[in-house]
Amino acid sequence: MRSPTARLIVNRVATAIPVLWGVTFLTFLVVNRLPGDAAQQLLGINASQQQLQELRDKLNLDQPFLTRYFDWLGHAVTGDLGRSFASDQSVTSILSERLPVTFELLAYALIVSLVFTVPVALLAARKPNGIVDRITMATSMVGLSVANYVLALLLVYVFAVKLEWLPAIGYVNPSDGIWPFIKSLTLPAISIGFPLFCFYTRLLRADILEQMQGEDYVVTAKAKGAGPWRVLARHALPNSLFGLLTVVGLNIGTLIGVTVIIESIFSLPGIGGALLEAINNRDILVVQGIVLVLAVIVVLANLITDLLYSVLDPRIRYGRAAS
Amino acid sequence: MGAQLPEAEPQVATSALTLAPTAGEPIERRRGLLHSLDVVIPGAMLGFLLFLFFVWPLIGPVGKPTGGNILNANIEPFSSGHLFGTDPVGNDIWSRILYGGRSSIEIALAVQLIGLVLGGAVGAFAGYWGGALDLVLMRVLDVLIAFPALVIALAIAQSLGPSEFHTILALSFFSVPAFARISRAGTLQLRERTFILASRLSGTSSPRVLLRHVAPNILPQLVTFGLLGMGVIIILEGALSFFGLGIPPPNPSWGNMIFDGQGILSAEPRLVLVPSAFLFVTVLSFNLLGDALRSRWSAL
Repeated sequence: MRSPTARLIVNRVATAIPVLWGVTFLTFLVVNRLPGDAAQQLLGINASQQQLQELRDKLNLDQPFLTRYFDWLGHAVTGDLGRSFASDQSVTSILSERLPVTFELLAYALIVSLVFTVPVALLAARKPNGIVDRITMATSMVGLSVANYVLALLLVYVFAVKLEWLPAIGYVNPSDGIWPFIKSLTLPAISIGFPLFCFYTRLLRADILEQMQGEDYVVTAKAKGAGPWRVLARHALPNSLFGLLTVVGLNIGTLIGVTVIIESIFSLPGIGGALLEAINNRDILVVQGIVLVLAVIVVLANLITDLLYSVLDPRIRYGRAAS
Repeated sequence: MGAQLPEAEPQVATSALTLAPTAGEPIERRRGLLHSLDVVIPGAMLGFLLFLFFVWPLIGPVGKPTGGNILNANIEPFSSGHLFGTDPVGNDIWSRILYGGRSSIEIALAVQLIGLVLGGAVGAFAGYWGGALDLVLMRVLDVLIAFPALVIALAIAQSLGPSEFHTILALSFFSVPAFARISRAGTLQLRERTFILASRLSGTSSPRVLLRHVAPNILPQLVTFGLLGMGVIIILEGALSFFGLGIPPPNPSWGNMIFDGQGILSAEPRLVLVPSAFLFVTVLSFNLLGDALRSRWSAL
């Protein structure tokens, strides 16, 4: 006999496989359709036919499309993602070099935004339409309307050019000093994190208000004589945090897209820069590797969100586990 | 995306009531107007911006956005004939703002319309028929959502060349799955309602049920979602142009104006600040309007 949670995992993994397969196939198809191939991009337009042919033979570019795709797929299943055409570095080592930077940036942005979201949303929800609430809602509307590349440039202008507090571009490895490392990621993290904070705060505030208005347990808590802050923070907030958690998990995919833009503005050596470079070089195996990892992250984030949800919320665990 | 600008205004119920046409004493009507300021103000802002982008270049003294003379480069703002001055190649910035705004709005509208019609239809079909069709369509959408859309945008721009039409094509990869999800969720809820059941039992054909009963009921939701998404699409279009993948230079777009100004940010910040400000105000107007309409609909 299997528990509903185990059934959910099996179900989700089974549906994730065709999605991942579709994503990699689509990528292969798209990059393959681009004009010019890796041999042409690497050797430049002055290369002779013979040179081009030799490189194509070496890289197996003359094989039919499907042969190359299934060749890649066969190796990918065993964890071998191939080698870059451009640098001959293995794709897994490129990934292990670039991914940490992107993860650090994302983690920094998420932590900063969530740390501010919870107290601000509580303050706003304490008195709906009060002064704090109105300021919060107005600020968050501004934050949702500003493009993060614009925010990034504004932050650079104020904090790097005018005040010279923080570096405008570049990345410092954490092994070269933790403080310079944090400083180098602060402006990029705020560029990603501030719009997130605005988005999360609106969401959390709305959810808390909904809990406060309709739910029986809130009435019970009030009837027992719990103070307004206690009801908000101890009773309504934990329930509302589920909703927020779901959105954070589901949003990971969108966030990665944003990271590509921010990484390029701040010249950070993350996965975004590698992806842009690989597409330009028609370095199909690197593109494949990166897209695969990004898709796995998105699928995993969704899966973990669902699982957390079903573990934490008994109504879902017993009611609709199969759906 | 822009779908989730949540808000649970305790007052929406009353404001929706005052919006309903009542036998009009003047006092009642004034209260209704005050309550709908959240729609009127962003609506007026948008109307003014649209007038500037689409009508003013036709009737007002607006120069050409491209082909400026290098001798006129870097003119200060507020000089005669150049409200915001000129850029380093001598083009009038005000004119580039207006024409850039025009293409931004055109692109965003087209993308959202494609999303509304195509995504709305796919979602409604999937939700209405359910079963294997639903499963397959939803998995295809999952692929599109899990796929880094930037790769598609880059691929389209690189293989077909950057242009307004190709930008629309690339950005539709964002909007179609998003609309499809909303439309499917709405249809799933409707399918269980008695009036849908009644029309099916009375022998109405499925396409007719979808068109006459389902579509009108999910349309308000989709239109509001589309309005809220306008800002997101305008920002994304700017991002594509920022990477040189959207509107091809020298044609103006806010994204490529910001990108061009980025290099000389410390010397000439206005080259970044002016298009950024217009981008912000336009997106803000769409968001405010979409948000206000959304709280109306959810109260109904």
